[in-house]
Amino acid sequence: MNAPLPETRAQGIGVALPRKEDDRFMRGRGGYVGNIRMVGMLDVAFVRSPVAHGRIRAIEKPEGSEGAVYTLADLEGVQPIVANSGLAGFKNSAQPVLAGDKVRQVGEMIAMCVAENRAAAEDIAAQVFVDFDELPAVVDMLAARRAGSALVHEEWGDNVFLETFIDADLDDIRSKAAIKVRRKLRTARQSMAPMEGRGVVAHWDHRLGQLIVYTSAQMPHINRTGIAGCLGLDEGQVRVVAPDVGGGFGYKGILLPEEVCVAWLAIKLGRPVRWLEDRREQLTANANCREHDYDITAYADSDGRLLAVDCEATVDSGAYSSYPFSACLEAAQVGSILPGPYKMEKYRCRTWSVATNKPPILPYRGVARTGVCYAIETVMDAIAVQAGLEPWEVRMRNLVLPQEMPYDNITRKHFDSGDYPECLRRAVQAIGLPALRERQRRGEADGRRIGVGLAIFCEQGAHGTSVYHGWGIPMVPGREPVTLRLTPDGVLEIRAGVHSHGQGMETTLAQIAHEVLGIAIDKVRVLLGDTGITPYSTGTWGSRSIVMAGSAVGVACKELKERLIKIGAHLLKDEPAMVTWQAGAVVSPKGWKRIADIARTWYLQPQLLPGDVDPRGLEVSTTYQARRDSGTFSYACHAVVVAVDTALGKVELLDYVVVEDGGVLINPMVVDGQVYGGAAQGIGTALYEEMRYSEDGQPLASTLADYILPGATEVPAIRIAHMETPAPYTEFGQKGIGESGAIGSPAAIANAVNDALRPLGVEINQLPITPRAIVEALAAVSAVSGNQGRNA
Amino acid sequence: MNDKPTSPLALTVNGRKVSAVVEPRTHLADFLREQQLLTGTNIGCEQGVCGACTVLVDGVPTRSCITWAVSCQGAEVRTIESFDEDETMAELRAAFTAEHALQCGYCTPGMLATARDIVTRLPQADEARIRLELSGNLCRCTGYVGLVRAIGRVLEARRQRNLAEA
Repeated sequence: MNAPLPETRAQGIGVALPRKEDDRFMRGRGGYVGNIRMVGMLDVAFVRSPVAHGRIRAIEKPEGSEGAVYTLADLEGVQPIVANSGLAGFKNSAQPVLAGDKVRQVGEMIAMCVAENRAAAEDIAAQVFVDFDELPAVVDMLAARRAGSALVHEEWGDNVFLETFIDADLDDIRSKAAIKVRRKLRTARQSMAPMEGRGVVAHWDHRLGQLIVYTSAQMPHINRTGIAGCLGLDEGQVRVVAPDVGGGFGYKGILLPEEVCVAWLAIKLGRPVRWLEDRREQLTANANCREHDYDITAYADSDGRLLAVDCEATVDSGAYSSYPFSACLEAAQVGSILPGPYKMEKYRCRTWSVATNKPPILPYRGVARTGVCYAIETVMDAIAVQAGLEPWEVRMRNLVLPQEMPYDNITRKHFDSGDYPECLRRAVQAIGLPALRERQRRGEADGRRIGVGLAIFCEQGAHGTSVYHGWGIPMVPGREPVTLRLTPDGVLEIRAGVHSHGQGMETTLAQIAHEVLGIAIDKVRVLLGDTGITPYSTGTWGSRSIVMAGSAVGVACKELKERLIKIGAHLLKDEPAMVTWQAGAVVSPKGWKRIADIARTWYLQPQLLPGDVDPRGLEVSTTYQARRDSGTFSYACHAVVVAVDTALGKVELLDYVVVEDGGVLINPMVVDGQVYGGAAQGIGTALYEEMRYSEDGQPLASTLADYILPGATEVPAIRIAHMETPAPYTEFGQKGIGESGAIGSPAAIANAVNDALRPLGVEINQLPITPRAIVEALAAVSAVSGNQGRNA
Repeated sequence: MNDKPTSPLALTVNGRKVSAVVEPRTHLADFLREQQLLTGTNIGCEQGVCGACTVLVDGVPTRSCITWAVSCQGAEVRTIESFDEDETMAELRAAFTAEHALQCGYCTPGMLATARDIVTRLPQADEARIRLELSGNLCRCTGYVGLVRAIGRVLEARRQRNLAEA
């Protein structure tokens, strides 16, 4: 009657298990939106604005295009996209899904054209004539703040979505500080550029009375809420399915006007309708990220101990407030996390979220953390120079200490755990600092200059209700839901509302189930991305999924195990207290019952169940909230060695070390993959990626030949070392680290380049540090010194 | 509005003779995906930069997004779907999954096409050469660490086997 118990194989928490999802991708069977084919499916192409700012005088549809071209006037009753911040003083922008009387960015959609295929739809779009009165474009965020600037939204009276101010009296600090450093820093506007763009396929299902929207999205439940709202449907009439998603990084955390338009058209025509974003649309028309400006001053004593930081930060939020993150999340985060992992007496920060005639910004991996890490780590190096210390020494004197954990910092961030100084020590040791300083003294045979750079930071991740409510965004995450269900043959279905777009959650959530239940990984099916079969969640963003959904899976599995034990003990004619749980089975001296035995009993042999069996059966729905919702704080130190060619301005990364504490690692291989990939994106931020605009608001990078993503020759063999301090408030001690890699690299690389160039009197204070930036900075210095020479 | 000129096209796709009628402006990736329903070839940029759409045309890795379908008259085209039973690709798949050489999977079919070309054409390739050869294939997820290791692992195994056979 009893089949032998299975061999216990290590498949649980901490195992670098190969991923369940790999095989279909390696055989060309990935289920991306673009791969969906439906009978009668039509393709859409959009007419997009060629001007950054203008009034639309007229739109002329081509002759013979009846039923093939739609403008806002046709979309009766469709509501604009609105994402109001809850913060006082926020100015609202309503984004019509097709432009009304005005366009506010190049690429804004004006008309929707539909045909049998995309090429034919583009032919029609090319014949739509739009008459504009062009307006002056608002392009630079600092100029946009000045009185007299052209206005993106005239009714506002200025171009500021929101201004925030954390005040402090710095008079005493100013009088006593031995060291004062001030830097003006800029980070470029970027594009997240996942390899797969956005895409939508929509149709109306008459049997279900439902609009079905397939979309490449990170947060399908949020898209469902947004689409239903814009179209005036009940949410029950909308099912959103995000199938395999070819990379997200924040780019796919938005309600798109394209989704609303295509869904509306599918209902209107009664046929499946598709729009697939091409790369030009991705780069020039849809969301960007990252564009920050800092005017930051730090005060320290003569030993390099921080006294205060005073900063004015401006974020270029683009033309509209995107749903659900709003135009102000980025600047709100700047204000609250700029102090980094350091202690200080006083902190003052004013931020502006500014509207310009560019695409809206979305939170890209790292969100504001990448920019603030660059800002604070730049001034830490400047303090080191003034104090005559090594950069690591200044940091060591200011980091929060392990014995102070948990630590509430100056902006009341609750650092949960860890040993920041040890992380720094290990990174400095791994990079081999003394040998590098000696090498710098010797000089290079090829004439290049060597530099070493550090960045240490902590990453608040998986933060919950109170934090996001405080940041004012229209979507506040709550308790994270999950549903488990056993099939009669003992397969565990995990239904979670988060999504996976490369993070490997089909594997890692299964590993957590294995950890609790001992069930073999291949008997676990993780179902994600479909609002029809998963519980409502805000989705995957903010380094939250393995903390929130992973913990929820653990809690639910524990509850399921209790129910299985009761039934199993009954079947074994034993008391629940007398049995144990081993390798996915209830075991007593009398024998054992595997999960599959108990599942079969529940579904098909209920006559054998105990009379007082739990009526909820073998399905568990629960929700999870961390014991504190202030977030996990993973932390890391990046140490980089560069060689700078001063003639050509080229930067080569000679060595790259990351020491990282992500708490308990669910799957170390997957964690490393996140760190490698994030660091590679940070390398792009540091050295290559720049979405430039002309003075009249034209995007100057419309192909991947203009917008440079790091390739295999630009990313070095990054070395990772782990510390594992369990998070005190999460189910298994795991911390969110999904964004971490992208946070530290720009700061570390910029510090390394400036370390190399400092003896030449050059410091570069903008990202990316392109060859041109280096050559021009060196030329400017030599011109100045040349003049001085003549004057003398 | 569908009065565009068309051309007849005859070629071999994954070992199968195919006859079709295409617009001259149709690129090979669209032809494979939309007319042959071979959706394993992912389109990443249609600008010839990212390499996601790499397929083999007469055995040579080719960007199908900047290759006209009509220019493939008489050619033999192999897409990712044809490699299920290919021994070299099986070895690469095992190495890719062991080294975590893919995350979202979107660049993977093109990466595998290029990787197979590297391991068969350049048996002595070292890490620097692998990176150089991969420079036409962009990946936004992995930082290339797992990709370079996976290809290196297969190259090393092939070298060991050749030594054993010699």
